[in-house]
Amino acid sequence: MSLETYRLTEEPRYHPSADEVALYEAAYQMRLPVMLKGPTGCGKTRFVEHMAWKLGKPLVTVACHEDMTASDFVGRYLLGPEGTYWQDGPLTRAVRHGGICYLDEIVEARQDTTVIIHALTDDRRILPLEKKGELVRAHPDFQLVISYNPGYQSVLKDLKESTKQRFCALDFDYPAAPIEAGIVASESGLNQQDAERLTRIAGKSRNLRGKGLDEGASTRMLIHAGRLMVAGLPIADACQFALITPITDDPEMRSTLLAAVDACI
Amino acid sequence: MLVSDGIKAAALSPALRKAFTGPDRDAYLRAHDRLRGAGYGAGIARAFASAAARVAEHAGAKEAIALAGDASRIAIKARPRVAADYLDLCPGIAMKVRGADDFRQWRGMIVSVLEGSPKALGALLARSEMLLERLGLEALCTWTQTGLRVGGQDSDQALRFFQLETPEAQRLLERYAGEANFPSLETGLKSFHTALWRHEPVLREAIRDGSNHRVRRTGFSNGIIRMPSAFPGFKGQEQRLYRASLAHVGAHAAYGGPRFPLGQLKPLQVAVISLIEDARVETLALRDMPGLIRLWLPFHTAAPDGLATAPNLFAALARALIDRAFQPALGWVGKGVAMFDCASDRLCDPAISREIGNVLGNDLGQTRVQFDALSYVVQPAYRDDNLGLWDLPDDPETPPASDEIEADLQDLRQCEPGDRSPDRKQEQTTPDTPALPDAVKIVEAQTEGGRKVFSLPEYDHHAGVERDDWVTVNAYDPIPGAPGFWDALQQRHGTTISRIKTVIAKSETGKRRRLKQQAEGETLDLDAAIDAAVAVRSARQPDPRVYACIMPPARSIAVHLLLDISQSTADPAGPGISILDMERDAAAILAGTMSQLGDDLAITAFSSAGRQDLRVTPVKAFGAPLDETTGRALSGLRSGFSTRIGAALRFASRGMDDVSRYRKLVLLVTDGEPSDIDVADPEYLVADARRAVQHMRSQGIDAVCVALGPEAGQRQSEIFGRKSCVQITDISTLPNTLPAFYLRMTR
Repeated sequence: MSLETYRLTEEPRYHPSADEVALYEAAYQMRLPVMLKGPTGCGKTRFVEHMAWKLGKPLVTVACHEDMTASDFVGRYLLGPEGTYWQDGPLTRAVRHGGICYLDEIVEARQDTTVIIHALTDDRRILPLEKKGELVRAHPDFQLVISYNPGYQSVLKDLKESTKQRFCALDFDYPAAPIEAGIVASESGLNQQDAERLTRIAGKSRNLRGKGLDEGASTRMLIHAGRLMVAGLPIADACQFALITPITDDPEMRSTLLAAVDACI
Repeated sequence: MLVSDGIKAAALSPALRKAFTGPDRDAYLRAHDRLRGAGYGAGIARAFASAAARVAEHAGAKEAIALAGDASRIAIKARPRVAADYLDLCPGIAMKVRGADDFRQWRGMIVSVLEGSPKALGALLARSEMLLERLGLEALCTWTQTGLRVGGQDSDQALRFFQLETPEAQRLLERYAGEANFPSLETGLKSFHTALWRHEPVLREAIRDGSNHRVRRTGFSNGIIRMPSAFPGFKGQEQRLYRASLAHVGAHAAYGGPRFPLGQLKPLQVAVISLIEDARVETLALRDMPGLIRLWLPFHTAAPDGLATAPNLFAALARALIDRAFQPALGWVGKGVAMFDCASDRLCDPAISREIGNVLGNDLGQTRVQFDALSYVVQPAYRDDNLGLWDLPDDPETPPASDEIEADLQDLRQCEPGDRSPDRKQEQTTPDTPALPDAVKIVEAQTEGGRKVFSLPEYDHHAGVERDDWVTVNAYDPIPGAPGFWDALQQRHGTTISRIKTVIAKSETGKRRRLKQQAEGETLDLDAAIDAAVAVRSARQPDPRVYACIMPPARSIAVHLLLDISQSTADPAGPGISILDMERDAAAILAGTMSQLGDDLAITAFSSAGRQDLRVTPVKAFGAPLDETTGRALSGLRSGFSTRIGAALRFASRGMDDVSRYRKLVLLVTDGEPSDIDVADPEYLVADARRAVQHMRSQGIDAVCVALGPEAGQRQSEIFGRKSCVQITDISTLPNTLPAFYLRMTR
């Protein structure tokens, strides 16, 4: 089975904030593994999609969760009518057929499972399938990308030092206000002026990061709010619906955020 | 009917004849006669006659007649003058409250104040119409009850409360009136400022300024923002007003320049320059956050055609500069607006405030408009006092930046034991055992080392209310005692410790979990079974662990151990040992066992010296290791002061909010019933502690009690319930009793 279905057919829009495209291209040229750091909803996943499309490579995405085991990455034997058969996991598939494997929020996976990528991320570029007794050598096109949000996870959820040191890392943050407004406008179809107001509101919520809020409003949330405004909602309602209510359950913090939104419009 | 009554009845005014008919008229006449004959002066009887008719109209004849009895009691216990005031007041009150029942409740409240603090009754009567207006009857009764409790035995204190002179009276008044004040809004205000201006502000409540006047406007200096404890007269708008004020101060910080030098400027010029500067920073802030106009504008209420007095002119100019639709008929204001508009292209330069302000100030000076700098209050209410804008190095009017810290110190000084009555139980006595040579030093260290942590509510079962911020918690650093505590403990109770360990380890607590890939278990683990089948077919050795099972619950307990170290724990518990010694050992044994089992434990010792000083000594915090420091802190504990159990329980349960364990438990080790120097009623603290326990249980925190010593136990089981309380007379029985608590946790 090849990875044709994993190929992107349309260009995912991405607005670079700095030279991250060039950096990534250099890393891909050398097939170095890349780690993307940054808060949720700032465009990490979109960036990987954009790069995969740009490089013309298939993209295999795995969203990690806390019950994830090594078999969920590399594959397992299943019971079939003829007895058992081996099913490649998403990582193995990308390794075998040559694609970019993107492990989203890698720290969510159990720590012992992350060591399976070690042999893939140094110059050996191999994936041992212990249960199958096979050693898969990585396809020349294969590259590993992981994402990692250092903000909200507790100290318990951190990457091992030995894992961290295998990656080049790109630091992502919410784009600067004019760029973010442009992104919000183009993604949601909102006019530029309202998009600027939304980014100013997001700035206020990001001021409270770590001071009552785990995270400020993300670019993704702003796009949602923008779309709601295109659908006809007034800005205050759209902000309450798409930004404030999802972000916190604390009534006092909600009231504060509402007041901050009100100050900006 | 008496003959004389018949004669007088004919002389009654028509209003009285209408109000009192049949037997009521007799009763009225008799009451009137008694009052007149009692020698309080003719005025009282006249006041009664006048009040009775009108009260009868609104609250019925019975209530009206009862006024005579009230007046008589007031005249005796307070002064006849106060009784006359009372009678004059009653018709108005009867009109305001609804019907006889409410009026009776109001009378009852007056009588209770008369009983509790006769001296303060006059002050209460003088303000009661205002208070009733602001609070309503129910809340007024609660507020006066609280006032009596604040006063306690101290009649001057009660008097000051009812004169509304203490900050606490004001604060409680605001709270019961449902008005938001600074303490209730502080957290939200902090995040509002942070959201708007990115950095977290240092907010302080300013109650009195340097000359002991109530602070009416926000002020800022050296990075500290001092906000008034309340803005009276803005009911329903408090939050918006505080936010408006904070946004204004934030604008100063964001767009203001360095402080203006005062130079030779007159107060009038200072006021005008400050006003222009206010408008300048607000205009700049509005460019970034146009919505702030909706926050600020409602407080600009200046009329366009007021008298040309300085405060009116200032208010009008302030409004005209921010509200372009406002066009006052005052030439001076128009000139100010025009000059401000001219400078609109260099608004970022603070110097324009001085330029414009100087010109406008001179103009105003020449028109000889009177300006009283002392009584001037900046308008509108959200603006700051302007002191932060000026370089006023030696001005005594400037409140010191650290005024709040001074107030805190004063608070602490007030709770020093030296101020207390020399009650044996409460006094900080020097222990008479020679083993404590540094006892004197300890006393000093304890009173100096306290720092306010937070305030806690308390429940008054008489009034049926929970009073917020009633008890102040002060933390005192532990005093290190003798080293080698753990070794000594092992020597004293070696066998006991090992027995406890086996008993406790058997008890189960925590959440059940499903375990896969086990060698034994109830069901087959499908994944493991497939793996095994695969291994067999590929001629490898299969893993025999193909079962799944439900794991017995993992231990997940956090215990907050509260040690009562009040003065009574210095009493002997047996030959050569005090109750405190016994507590210490029990706590240490429990702590040792728990730490070996991986349970989380905090130990806090507590005592109290009135509601202003719940003294807590943190011996061990959650997550901290159980080591030599803990041992020394334990052995350094000394008996002293009283036992406010409810407050201590609230403190302990609050400390468990952030602890993530499956079961949480507060374990109180005490030797007696709750008591404190400012509480005379023994039921009060018991009821409060019971309420604290109920509240904790509703939050999923269990509360249990170990009562030490032969006399303890009775009141504790009233507080904690019989099942949650155990009495221990001999420490050797601990191994049998402690597991009972652990079993409770597995419910």
